[in-house]
Amino acid sequence: MSAPLLNVHDLRVIFAPAAPGQPPARVVDGVSFALDAGDSLAIVGETGSGKTTLARALLGLHPAGSVSGSVQLGGQELVGLDEGRWRPLRWQRIALAVQNAGTAFDPVYRMGEQIGEPLREHRGLSSAEATARAAALVAQVGLTERHLRAYPHQLSGGEKQRLMLAMALSCDPELLIVDEPTSGQDMLARAQVIALLRAICAQRGTALLLISHDLAAVSQLAGQVAVLYAGKLAEVGATRDVLSAPRHPYTWGLLSAYPDMSTARDLSGIRGQMPDPTHPPTGCRFHPRCTQAVDECRRVEPPLQLHNGRRLACHLGGLRALLRAEGLRKTFTTNGHLGPAQNVEAVRNVSLEVYEGEVVGLVGETGSGKSTLGRLLVGLLDPESGSIVFEGNPLALNNGSASRHLRRRIQLIPQDPFDSVSPYLTVCQIVREPLDVQRAGTPAERRERVREALAAVGLPTLDAFLARHPHELSGGQLQRVVIARALVLEPKLIVADEPVSMLDASEQAKLITLLEDIQNERGMGLLLISHDLALVRKVADRILVMRDGQIIEGGPSSQVLAQPQHEYTRALLRAAPSFDWYTTSSGGNRP
Amino acid sequence: MKRRALGFLISLWAVLTLNFLLPRLLPGDPLAALLDPSSSAYVFNSATRASLAEYYGLDRPLVQQYADYLAGTLRGDLGQSIRLNRPVGELLRAHLPWTLLLTLTALSAASLLGVLGGAEAAWRRGSATDKALVVSSVIASNAPVFFTGMILLIVFGARLDWLPLAGGRTAFARYGTPWEAARDYAAHLALPAVTLTLALVGSKFLLVRNSMIGVLGEDYMLVARAKGLSTGRLKRHHALRNALIPFVHHLAAHAGFALTGALFIETLFNYPGMGRLVFESVVARDYPVIQGVFVVVSALVLGANLLADWLSYRLDPRRREAL
Repeated sequence: MSAPLLNVHDLRVIFAPAAPGQPPARVVDGVSFALDAGDSLAIVGETGSGKTTLARALLGLHPAGSVSGSVQLGGQELVGLDEGRWRPLRWQRIALAVQNAGTAFDPVYRMGEQIGEPLREHRGLSSAEATARAAALVAQVGLTERHLRAYPHQLSGGEKQRLMLAMALSCDPELLIVDEPTSGQDMLARAQVIALLRAICAQRGTALLLISHDLAAVSQLAGQVAVLYAGKLAEVGATRDVLSAPRHPYTWGLLSAYPDMSTARDLSGIRGQMPDPTHPPTGCRFHPRCTQAVDECRRVEPPLQLHNGRRLACHLGGLRALLRAEGLRKTFTTNGHLGPAQNVEAVRNVSLEVYEGEVVGLVGETGSGKSTLGRLLVGLLDPESGSIVFEGNPLALNNGSASRHLRRRIQLIPQDPFDSVSPYLTVCQIVREPLDVQRAGTPAERRERVREALAAVGLPTLDAFLARHPHELSGGQLQRVVIARALVLEPKLIVADEPVSMLDASEQAKLITLLEDIQNERGMGLLLISHDLALVRKVADRILVMRDGQIIEGGPSSQVLAQPQHEYTRALLRAAPSFDWYTTSSGGNRP
Repeated sequence: MKRRALGFLISLWAVLTLNFLLPRLLPGDPLAALLDPSSSAYVFNSATRASLAEYYGLDRPLVQQYADYLAGTLRGDLGQSIRLNRPVGELLRAHLPWTLLLTLTALSAASLLGVLGGAEAAWRRGSATDKALVVSSVIASNAPVFFTGMILLIVFGARLDWLPLAGGRTAFARYGTPWEAARDYAAHLALPAVTLTLALVGSKFLLVRNSMIGVLGEDYMLVARAKGLSTGRLKRHHALRNALIPFVHHLAAHAGFALTGALFIETLFNYPGMGRLVFESVVARDYPVIQGVFVVVSALVLGANLLADWLSYRLDPRRREAL
């Protein structure tokens, strides 16, 4: 195989501090990738991840001395070239369509003049020749001579975006860098730009480096994708693989935050903020926002390396399964008072996984074994066979004291709050109970943690409230107390068994939103057991459908809801609440 | 652009009207001194007093006076100097060209220096050149003109004896060739023009530098660089071209300042422009002359603004629709 067109190795863009004595800003910090001629690569990441800085570095637009590492174009080293050497490379070999086309044109010159300018400067074309070429380019992007004669302020954003592309193509570059071509545009203009870029790259064989946070555009334009976080690559791979099965926690978070037409669940942003490039975190740059960070992540910077066929920068090899249960089986035996003793197989050979930070919905009708499964997972019941691995540690099936400290990391929110708390205990005692059992901290510390947990679920932390008994609380309040009890041990996984089924719709909505926020903020896994598909779809990343003790279908929420494979799932979907207007036989819709 | 021209005419009319009304709003009238028995200029003969009033047209109704004034002004008749007993128009025709020569020379020089220096300083923002230029321009624009003028006179006129000390040309000189004449005029113009240029250049430099720095940060400048254009083209064709738009407006607003500055400097260098005329007329309370100068200066400033509008219309396509 021949050498790639563009080979970027250990590229760093470090800006000198604004004032002496301050640390420099490490905006791009050791990025390596390669792009073959005619191929396409997308760099994705949040605002501030260093995407645009990276793009500009490839054109030598940063102040001398701020860029180090290596950028090779067709074997020629570009880093360290002076302006005089850069000039013939720019636009002729690498062209850039900048992010904001609205302000990318000099306001005092006509479009034709600006599009033809590189041709006159680089190729020595006469004014008339350049104009003729510009007219051909403009036609290629679907615009007319009228647009050539216009001044920038006379055109719309979408028109300028296309003219920007026409201008970028004027010298027929080998590499086209397009920075956020779709941002700030309406959906139709966006679709047109995507179609145009596809056509251009296909026709001319131009290599495309796409800088974008628009994941849908990326999926349509780029064969490869590189995820950039705080100046470092987090994950690199084929676009289809990375976007359909993200492995790095950051990529996963990006996808969870990205709205597309197939998403059913509410969007959740990645918790925390992008770090400041002048003070990058130690170790893995994503660790302060990562839900699965371990000590090593804080200390050692992970290299970008192959983990099961994907290039990742993660010590843990990407998203970990928080909980992995295999072959769980539970049979109840009726006591035989009302007839011969019978075996009821409540859970039959069930395997499931909950990943870090993931919300899994477990749906099914009453009696399908959902609650039993939930109790097996939290250790309230012992399975007859099977295994449960939590955070990489196998849990003893007989719930011995050896796994007690592991068990505290899995908490259950039971179905009926009135059923699950003692009526004789106060709010404070209810929430403190797990701390007492686990003998965690001094009494004062325990009380402080009780208050924190109550505040987290939006309850008062006044002494008067702490002294109340369950019968003095509303159903919604009591359920919040129960959630607070589950949170007080700072669990890693919460198994919530119909947590809101007893509440009215408004209180349901509030509690589900609360649960989701807490889950996102604390980076917990959540297994949400419910018969209510309409509710689960708003929260769950994945849905598992259970029937007769078995999981009969499972997959991403969007997929399960849009293309249910199993007849039972389809039946559940049909039965899920939806407004279907009552009509009389006379045809009027008024009773 | 038509609207701007109309605005110019309306402003001019307002200036003329103000010029007509202001002296008439003052207590008394121009002949008060002649009619006041306690004044040394008291005219005893009542017939003389009446004919004086008639001569100056002060016995006619105000509207009539206003119409006469407007008609006279449009014909170029700005009245009669009381001190010199010569038509104001004639005095202005004799002195105005000198003032214009001085002002336009200094304005052009200051603009050229300000634009070139400002562009270069902005391009090398933060460098030693930039800092030196900023500091010296601040000093130059804040030093009083009589101070700089005096120093220039002492150094180049008196000590070094390179340039003449006063006047607009050598008295009674006869020039063999136009070249000789030009040299003589230029030698006399040099010191006043340098003084005025120094007074004007600072603000122009700072304005061009600032607007250029703003332009250099624009996205289109980044694109222009990415396009691989030469430094000269980036600097002049894109950056300076855009930075000049605010400069044109500044230039118009500054025309009045330049003219008044010129009047001061003319008195200092005994330059034959309107400066001495105004100075002496103020001392002698020669109102017709002062008013004439007021009208002419106002008209010039208004004209400069109209010119600036037209220029910015040419420079900035975004304004073409707005006008």
